[in-house]
Amino acid sequence: MAKVEIKHLTKIFGKRPKAALKMVKQNKSKDEIVEKTGSTVGVYDISMSIDEGEIFVIMGLSGSGKSTLIRLLNRLIEPTEGQLFIDGQEITKFNKKQMLDIRRQKMSMVFQNFGLFPHRTLLENTEYGLEIQGVEKEERRKRAEQALDNAKLLSYKDQYPSQLSGGMQQRVGLARALTNDPDILLMDEAFSALDPLVRGEMQDELLELQANVQKTIIFITHDLNEALHIGDHIAIMKDGQLQQIGTGEEILTNPANDYVKTFIGGVDRSKVLTAESIMIPSLTTNVDVDGPTVALRKMADEEVSGLVAVNRKRELLGYLSSDEAVKARRNQKPLTQAVSTMPTVALDTLVADIMPIIYDSQTPVAVVDANKRVRGVIIRGSVLEALADTEGEENA
Amino acid sequence: MPNLPKIPLESWISNIVSWLTTHLSGLFDLMQKGGQSIMDALTNGLTAIPMPLMIAGLTFIAILTTHKKYGFPIFTFIGLALIANQNLWSDLMSTVTLVIMASVISLVIGIPLGILTAKSPKTAAVVKPILDFMQTMPGFVYLIPAVAFFGIGVVPGVFASIIFALPPMVRMTDLGIRQVPIDLVEAADSFGSTTWQKLIKLELPNARNTILAGANQTIMLALSMVVTASMIGAPGLGRGVLSAVQRADVGSGFVNGLGLVILAIIIDRFTQKLNTKPGQKATRKPWRRWAILATVLVMIGGGVVNAMTSEKTTGQKVTLGYVAWDSEVASTTVLAQSLRQHGYDVTMTPLDNAVLWQSLSNGQVDASVSAWLPYTHKALYAKYKNDISLLGPNLHGAKTGFVVPDYMKVNSIADLKDEANKTVTGIEPGAGEMTTAKQTLEAYPNLSGWNLSSSSSGAMTTALDKAYKSKKDIIVTGWSPHWMFSKYKLKYLEDPKGTMGKNETINTITRKNLKQDNPKFEKVMDKFNWTKDDMESVMFDIQKGQSPEQAANKWLKAHAKLADSWYK
Repeated sequence: MAKVEIKHLTKIFGKRPKAALKMVKQNKSKDEIVEKTGSTVGVYDISMSIDEGEIFVIMGLSGSGKSTLIRLLNRLIEPTEGQLFIDGQEITKFNKKQMLDIRRQKMSMVFQNFGLFPHRTLLENTEYGLEIQGVEKEERRKRAEQALDNAKLLSYKDQYPSQLSGGMQQRVGLARALTNDPDILLMDEAFSALDPLVRGEMQDELLELQANVQKTIIFITHDLNEALHIGDHIAIMKDGQLQQIGTGEEILTNPANDYVKTFIGGVDRSKVLTAESIMIPSLTTNVDVDGPTVALRKMADEEVSGLVAVNRKRELLGYLSSDEAVKARRNQKPLTQAVSTMPTVALDTLVADIMPIIYDSQTPVAVVDANKRVRGVIIRGSVLEALADTEGEENA
Repeated sequence: MPNLPKIPLESWISNIVSWLTTHLSGLFDLMQKGGQSIMDALTNGLTAIPMPLMIAGLTFIAILTTHKKYGFPIFTFIGLALIANQNLWSDLMSTVTLVIMASVISLVIGIPLGILTAKSPKTAAVVKPILDFMQTMPGFVYLIPAVAFFGIGVVPGVFASIIFALPPMVRMTDLGIRQVPIDLVEAADSFGSTTWQKLIKLELPNARNTILAGANQTIMLALSMVVTASMIGAPGLGRGVLSAVQRADVGSGFVNGLGLVILAIIIDRFTQKLNTKPGQKATRKPWRRWAILATVLVMIGGGVVNAMTSEKTTGQKVTLGYVAWDSEVASTTVLAQSLRQHGYDVTMTPLDNAVLWQSLSNGQVDASVSAWLPYTHKALYAKYKNDISLLGPNLHGAKTGFVVPDYMKVNSIADLKDEANKTVTGIEPGAGEMTTAKQTLEAYPNLSGWNLSSSSSGAMTTALDKAYKSKKDIIVTGWSPHWMFSKYKLKYLEDPKGTMGKNETINTITRKNLKQDNPKFEKVMDKFNWTKDDMESVMFDIQKGQSPEQAANKWLKAHAKLADSWYK
């Protein structure tokens, strides 16, 4: 049996939901409905079921209704129509008291801006859920400290949220949600406010946590990579309506409609790819200035085994591999002598023409403009991806 | 423009207020009695604390709460010492009592109301316009129903202050709770907080600083109402300011005002110290709190000891009402000082004239020696004659009329043309003489187009002085006995129509049951009399810079025989 079952859930904001509902059924656009009725369609006719212990990702651009949907699940927002079952109980029929119990025992939420109480210490924040349930002080302290310990934040327990970095704050938010030991975790763009590096760390932490605790996690994001990274199933939304549900693989290979296609960055046949559209930013070293040690350090930082060597004017000189850099350091030679040549293509070179070059080359291919300046590099992965898209379309 | 009949708003409102007064008089009396006794207890408690102990204690608390800055403690010490030095200490304590009561009640009503408006849009829709109304209506207006409901004294003062000071409390509480970030509210909800838990654990702590700012405003507004409330007998520093305004006495007005400023700054700084930023709880050393608590306890202890050891005044309590005209200040102070010498515990309450008659009629004031009859206070006497006792004249040969400097050529009201910009300089709008002056302007055809400007008796004499020195025309509503006749060469204008009254007497009036309740005192009041010359000598002494008490004592010493005859 599914853990969470949603049937025809709809939420219309504003004063004339009936009129708006009618217009949605006639497939009128969101803007039109607002203009005519003054009501906004939050979500419309969503049905899905979520299994126990999976990470279910809901994706969409801003305004697609994903945040509304997650708030409908714990009824922070009251649905206009539809039903919602958790463990087979229809919670849309629950009264206030029962709803409080559901929120206290079964569901916890993590927020985009952390939602930590500024006037409470981390420990007081973490134990909040237990505190309002009337759990004894000793007991709730113990559990909150355990949760903070798991988040590696125990030593900060008497600090205030304003004294921590974003990543730490979100770990507290997560610890606070887990202290209640809920079955379901609702995460509303939980990592969107963090910088990319911390974000990646948090995603991995979440996966690790999930391996240990096996919660049902409903995760909202607008970032496809994040969804693919952590999601067992992904649902894509647009204008409050569901476009497609499936595993990451299914969505990438069989996008249900044009919107999903553009959303996942699929290309249509008519568009002919050029070097410019598939290149990625290049990691460069200015060999007029940098020595071998600096270059090696850059490689270590960026986790690559080579850099594009340029001069002061950012003109391409060639490729610097880590081996050559190590040699240069050992022999105390300047980097200019350690640079090997690398293949180059112009910005408007077609992907088809790049293929043979890239297969033969040991190094990435540099994309240069008319002034010999480096604009980006092309690596094998990007070509393969471009190819995969076109192939998929041929098969479809 | 069709001629619409005037809507009888005034009579409607009067009817509503009088209906309330008659039907809820039991409740109002209870509130008045209870409030009065609470306030008296508070004031007595505050005055019982010995002045040096209190000044030292507050300075010490100021030192404890300020970190490494000495400005505020020094200011507290010097400010309070200055107030004590100017003999305004008991006034200050009365003012503090009024402000504390008004603020506490405003907090008790305002915070829950603010929470309610923040939580319920319907309540907000009803309450907000009422708040707007309350805040923009001039504070004076609240005094009128306050007197009708609670009579005179400190209770109506508190009532008026509350109405005036409540709105910011409600508004700021409402704002503070609404300003709590939505994601925090959602977080609290998502963990299953009840409305109550959300309020206590999240909203109030986060709204705390806004609420404190509201409380601070409320206290300041209550303070600003102190002066206004003194018009209806609220004791304290306001009374000094008000009587200084009426007597145009710059010095005393400034000193009393300065006392209010010092008090306001001290209260303001102390309330600001309660503000803390969330997430930066002041790492106050616990001993500071204990020290503050100990200081407060020592002050209270000193008060208790002082109250136990100090002698109680055993005299009979009597209340004399008067209007702060120079003549009445003289007569009432002389009478009060004489009564005190005979062992009475006398309270002198300065009031607006109309309020004075009203409070005699409802028995809140025992007696007054300032009824000018039969002309000047005719209207008031007609209104209240059934509810008061008239004991007869205490001074003969009083007179009211239009007064001009004797360098002006005009001799009769009927001969006035366009002198003094067609203006008669008057006194308080509520004074009886203003009523007769208005009638005079209407009665004489040559005075059509003239106007009567009202101010205060003090402002009138200031204007007269200014005109006299520069030999300009001026016409004032004058009366004798008055010191201005000994200071300047003035003359009354003849009054062929007699609208300004002929020779008058100043009379003693008392509340209805005084004879039954306190026959001995009633007899003194009945016998009290003196002459125009007596009164003018006292007035002139006060005018030359003696305090009313000094001048009264001087006169009593010189006229012991006459004064003793009042008690026989």
